[in-house]
Amino acid sequence: MSVVDILSKYHSAFESGLLTTFQLSLIIWSVGLTLGTLLGALAVKWKLAVGIPSRLISFTLSGVPILVFLFWLHYPLQSLLGVVIDPFITAALTLSIINLFAVADVIREVLSEFPAQYLIAGKVCGLSAQQILLHIQMPIVLRQTVPVLLMIQVNMLQATLFASLISVNEIFRVAQQINSQIYRPVEIYTALGLLFLAICLPLNGLALWLKAKYTRDNSER
Amino acid sequence: MLEGIGLTKSFGSQKIVDNVSLALNPGEISVIIGPSGSGKTTLLKVLALVEQPDSGKIIVDDEQFNFPPVVASQPPWPKITVVFQQLFLWPHLTLLQNIQLPLSLRQKAYNGKDRRVAAGNLDPGFSDQDEQRRLGDLIELFEMQSFVHRYPNEASLGQRQRAALARAVILQPKYLLLDEITSSLDVEQISIILSYLRKLSKKGIGIVIVTHLLNFARDAADKIIFIDGGQIIESGGREVLDAPKQERVKKFLSVIESAS
Repeated sequence: MSVVDILSKYHSAFESGLLTTFQLSLIIWSVGLTLGTLLGALAVKWKLAVGIPSRLISFTLSGVPILVFLFWLHYPLQSLLGVVIDPFITAALTLSIINLFAVADVIREVLSEFPAQYLIAGKVCGLSAQQILLHIQMPIVLRQTVPVLLMIQVNMLQATLFASLISVNEIFRVAQQINSQIYRPVEIYTALGLLFLAICLPLNGLALWLKAKYTRDNSER
Repeated sequence: MLEGIGLTKSFGSQKIVDNVSLALNPGEISVIIGPSGSGKTTLLKVLALVEQPDSGKIIVDDEQFNFPPVVASQPPWPKITVVFQQLFLWPHLTLLQNIQLPLSLRQKAYNGKDRRVAAGNLDPGFSDQDEQRRLGDLIELFEMQSFVHRYPNEASLGQRQRAALARAVILQPKYLLLDEITSSLDVEQISIILSYLRKLSKKGIGIVIVTHLLNFARDAADKIIFIDGGQIIESGGREVLDAPKQERVKKFLSVIESAS
């Protein structure tokens, strides 16, 4: 059985797994990007109340492997609380938290290091605060953050594979289930690899292209 | 008139501007000279209301700004505007876009009836043709045709200085404050800028320049102000350079002239 045969024969299973992976990813991306951006902006505005706690949590999370964090939220925490939560929700929550703080870190860093002189130049040229935000601050911030954030989201997509370990029927678990039936690991995991290459490489390529096009080397020549 | 009365500004415990009073009339070119660290740039920033003084008063025509402020009021930009020594060109825009942005946004603000129109900080709007003509005139005046489409990091320092000056004057300010804008220009370019500044002053624009180029000061200035230690030591016409009264000024000039 070749890779193509496997993909063809088990395409509905793969599609189902892929759908779950995308649903998980969409939740992680949307929560991470919206709440993470908000948290990053608030962290700059309120350094003591929001910035310091945010950095502490982010620092702590960086020391915990994703898998350990996921397992901790799925097993010990639910046992302590006496609740049973759907593994899909647990996986979405875990990875959303990680994504949220990763995005917040990027936004906070870029905003806090934003050169104030560009804003002053806007003011003395008669631009309003809104005009400065739309035409000067946001374009520069977007150029600096979008490529990095895109790569983080690709990493989050890849991290969804960990959800298979708490029984979420995403694409990796589906591949494992098919393999347990027909035992063709080379073909199955090659197919999985090709699937992920087809999704992740274009996104990473887009991030690199955006970075090259819009992130200017502003050093003087 | 642009007037500063009793301006004082400290950073920490160090007084940088110490009870300075000066006045600039429309159409007049004032040059501020002095040694490094004398407070020239800080004074310029305070006059432009970019830095808030600790105490004093700034009067821009009929608007008065008291410090400490009792009521926060809208600074009169771009009626008064500044070109900084570091230029602060926006890096994501070409030099042309840097110059054009304040102009095109001002027209949109006027069309949208920005509240600043009511406040009197925006002049009446103008047509797209006027906008293009004004832009073209400035580019031609500063001979920027060959490099105006470059980004700031692709242009030389002299080219960036010309672009920053063009951006400052595109909205035809009433008072133009310039901080060391001639430092990287060649003699030819300095004389071009000087001739343009003279034209602006003839149109009634008051200009304050901080510079260390004494020849430029001699050629440009209607008024020369020598500052040291945050205080005005001597002020007047060209006699401040040709026949200074204060010993501190004489010493400064002799050091500069012997170095050159």
